Amino acid sequence: MNVLNFDSKLCERTRRQLDAYVSNELLVETTAEVVRHLENCGACSSELESRLRLRAGLRRAALREMPPAHLSQSIRQRLRRAQPGLLAGFRGATWVWAVAATLAVIVGGAAGQQALRLHHARQTVADILLLGVADHLDCAVRGHNYPDLARSQDELLRRLPPDCAGLLPVVEEYLPGFQVLEAHVCSVTGSPRKYVHFIARGEGALLSVVLTRRDGMSLPQGRLLAADSVADVYRAHLNNMDVAGFQSRDYFGFVVSGLGQDRVLQIAQSLAPPARVVLDRSPAATNGPREVSKLGEAASAL
Amino acid sequence: MFSHSKTRLEDFEAAAIPYLADLYRTAKFLARDSSEAEDLVQESYLEAWKSFHRFQPGTNLRAWLFTILFHRIHHFRRRQVKAVRMEHFENAADADNLMAPPIVPEEIRDEDILLALEKLPPEFREVVVLADVQEFSYKETAEALVIPLGTVMSRLSRGRKLLRRELAEVARSYGIGPRDSKTGEGNAR
Repeated sequence: MNVLNFDSKLCERTRRQLDAYVSNELLVETTAEVVRHLENCGACSSELESRLRLRAGLRRAALREMPPAHLSQSIRQRLRRAQPGLLAGFRGATWVWAVAATLAVIVGGAAGQQALRLHHARQTVADILLLGVADHLDCAVRGHNYPDLARSQDELLRRLPPDCAGLLPVVEEYLPGFQVLEAHVCSVTGSPRKYVHFIARGEGALLSVVLTRRDGMSLPQGRLLAADSVADVYRAHLNNMDVAGFQSRDYFGFVVSGLGQDRVLQIAQSLAPPARVVLDRSPAATNGPREVSKLGEAASAL
Repeated sequence: MFSHSKTRLEDFEAAAIPYLADLYRTAKFLARDSSEAEDLVQESYLEAWKSFHRFQPGTNLRAWLFTILFHRIHHFRRRQVKAVRMEHFENAADADNLMAPPIVPEEIRDEDILLALEKLPPEFREVVVLADVQEFSYKETAEALVIPLGTVMSRLSRGRKLLRRELAEVARSYGIGPRDSKTGEGNAR
């Protein structure tokens, strides 16, 4: 511990006021006194300089901490689901809520309920597609977890769990004109979910093919929901990314890029059928949904 | 009614979402865990939206959001208190004895500053984050934390001293050596 012998009581008084001075909380008169003293006291001005430097360093370091890219979208989605502002002005009067709800059911009738169901279903689609977008942004775009030169096919295969090896030729074949740079299993910070992630480059853009276990979730069925109800492929534009997704018995698959919604949908439409065949051949698919697949085992081991 | 609600939600988002980064990094420094910070911020936005009809237009929305965030953080901390207590300074009161903590060398890295911040006891850390990172006034800090103004002043002073003491230790471990606070001279690394 450093113990200082202050030159004068003025130094001691000034130093007691330095915290408030640094925070700009002193009265004008007191500030003038402190400034006068600092102009004539090297030790106190050095002390002030150190405090200002630390404060500036703390702020600079702290401002580098940024929220994850998906957080803003997640909040917006939760806010839309919450819908509390609908009758916010009537909070506290429970009977008003009851009457309003009854009236809404009577007046709105079946059409209203259907619109609400459609709204919720679209929200579910967006929530699921966001899984692929978050992994693409976190791992490929922000994390830059791929080499500039494509890995060899042997190297790519070594980086995949054995059960996913069959996916590599499918991805390569159904992404014509793209070079598969990377294949691995990864996760998004703060989530236990694992992803099999292929990163490819082509047509002037980066593209991810992401596969992850459904874990009880489902893309809701319906002509108004799927972009291609025959191939059962869904699409959206989320966090400035175009995403198209599909599901197999146990997995979701996503194609994510900034290539434009139509192109991404087109790739997903061609990729979905052969990818489903490979995914549903896995032990998880044959042993039932509660069984942990080798993909899951390999992923959770990482 | 839907369109009215949508407009209201859009108003809320337009006003509140710009503070997301500030709220997240504050939650991160207080919870010391990214996923907890995400949860805290999401819950705070939901709570703010539910209470948005009570918000007085023209008053400080940022401060209001921070008040809600700290309400959540304190709730979170009550659940964590036993674990946290073991990790932190047991001699926080020693800070009062540090009349003039060592001057922090310029060579200290940003990462060291953040690590030192994480080691502060939470009641000091929250005041330092609000006053020095978010640049809240004493009054705004007191309102967000629901504590008296005098407590803000004393905790900020002690928090800053503890931070400097911690960084002086880091400097010593690097072999930089804290400079003499009277002469400003120190050892080169």
